[in-house]
Amino acid sequence: MTEDVSNAEQSEILGRTFSLFQLISQQLDQLIRMSEKLLETQNQFLTSVNNRSVEGFPPDTLSLLTLPSSLRKTVMALYKLQKATAEDIAAETKRLRGMESAWANQLVRMGYLKKVREGRRVYFYIEPAPEMKK
Amino acid sequence: MKAKAISIHSARGGTGKTVIATNLAMILAKKGLSAGLLDLDFRAPSLNAIFSNALRDKPKFWLNDYLNGQCTEEQVMIDVSRNYNVEGELLIGLANPGVEAIRSILNKSSAWEVTAVKKMFALLCKLFTEMEVDCCLLDTSPGIQYSSINSAVSSDLTIAVTTMDSLDLGGTENMLANLYDALSRKTVVLVNKYSPETRTFKGEPPEAVASRVENALKHPVIGVIPCFCDVLQRERASIMAVYDPKHPFVGKIEEIAKKLEEMF
Repeated sequence: MTEDVSNAEQSEILGRTFSLFQLISQQLDQLIRMSEKLLETQNQFLTSVNNRSVEGFPPDTLSLLTLPSSLRKTVMALYKLQKATAEDIAAETKRLRGMESAWANQLVRMGYLKKVREGRRVYFYIEPAPEMKK
Repeated sequence: MKAKAISIHSARGGTGKTVIATNLAMILAKKGLSAGLLDLDFRAPSLNAIFSNALRDKPKFWLNDYLNGQCTEEQVMIDVSRNYNVEGELLIGLANPGVEAIRSILNKSSAWEVTAVKKMFALLCKLFTEMEVDCCLLDTSPGIQYSSINSAVSSDLTIAVTTMDSLDLGGTENMLANLYDALSRKTVVLVNKYSPETRTFKGEPPEAVASRVENALKHPVIGVIPCFCDVLQRERASIMAVYDPKHPFVGKIEEIAKKLEEMF
């Protein structure tokens, strides 16, 4: 009798375990689908950035909306600071200096920002409009 | 009050931005604060007409000149405090109403707009540090345009003015979600020209309207200003806080000024 109950319990546990595995499998499938969607969005963004003409493409306030929020915040800090090191930007955005440095350099690669080394310091800035350089 | 820049913006025209900005600046100056008021509605400037009585001559420099790098911050700001006998200070920066100036600003490149937003930050920095301004109000163009977005980006707070008209409310909802939230800008809503007689809101008190708008737009409502027919009938160039300071409309703007002081 005890053995029968035990078997019944065992099969119940097995049944529950199977259901749990099914649930985990479903969740994993959903995660995979979400990751694929995220990768697709990221690729679309990178493609759109790569297809842009880097020359003469400053980050104006309306095109800010096309940037990921992490990069957007860095540009907005530079509007205010004009010319700043990653440390200065981090103090303005209240984010980590290392992250700001990575994002500012990414913006340089995208053609949004310029950078210049002055002694040991590296400064990031937005190039003035051609009509303002005169 | 810590030095702050406040943009007054709306999704559509005719919501009362300029009247609110002008009266708010005047009330702050009357309270003894140093207030700044900038006309950033370059397509349809109006502060030059509102303050025409205070200006003996045509301004030497306009905000257009400042953004073009043709004058300094000190040169573009005009002190009109004496004309209104205010306890504090009132400094104004005007947009050029000339057709050529408007045409020129419409043809600016996006690269110029980047420089313009940087110049806006520089102007505000100078106002708050060297010129000791406590609060600067930026009266902007309606809708999504460079001058208004530049103004919102350089401000600490934006007041989105709307009426209870469904087009205004819909436009404000779109602007809040797709612009201000996307740019992580602190924004509050101000309902103007509210009439409890309208069919949809029959008999609803302003508090209920504020709560309803807050729920719909998911942003705090800083005030509900009823529609005063006599305000609408007046010349828009007359500053209520100066010529009729006891008017309930002025009382409502004073309540908003108090809330802003508490916020900062």
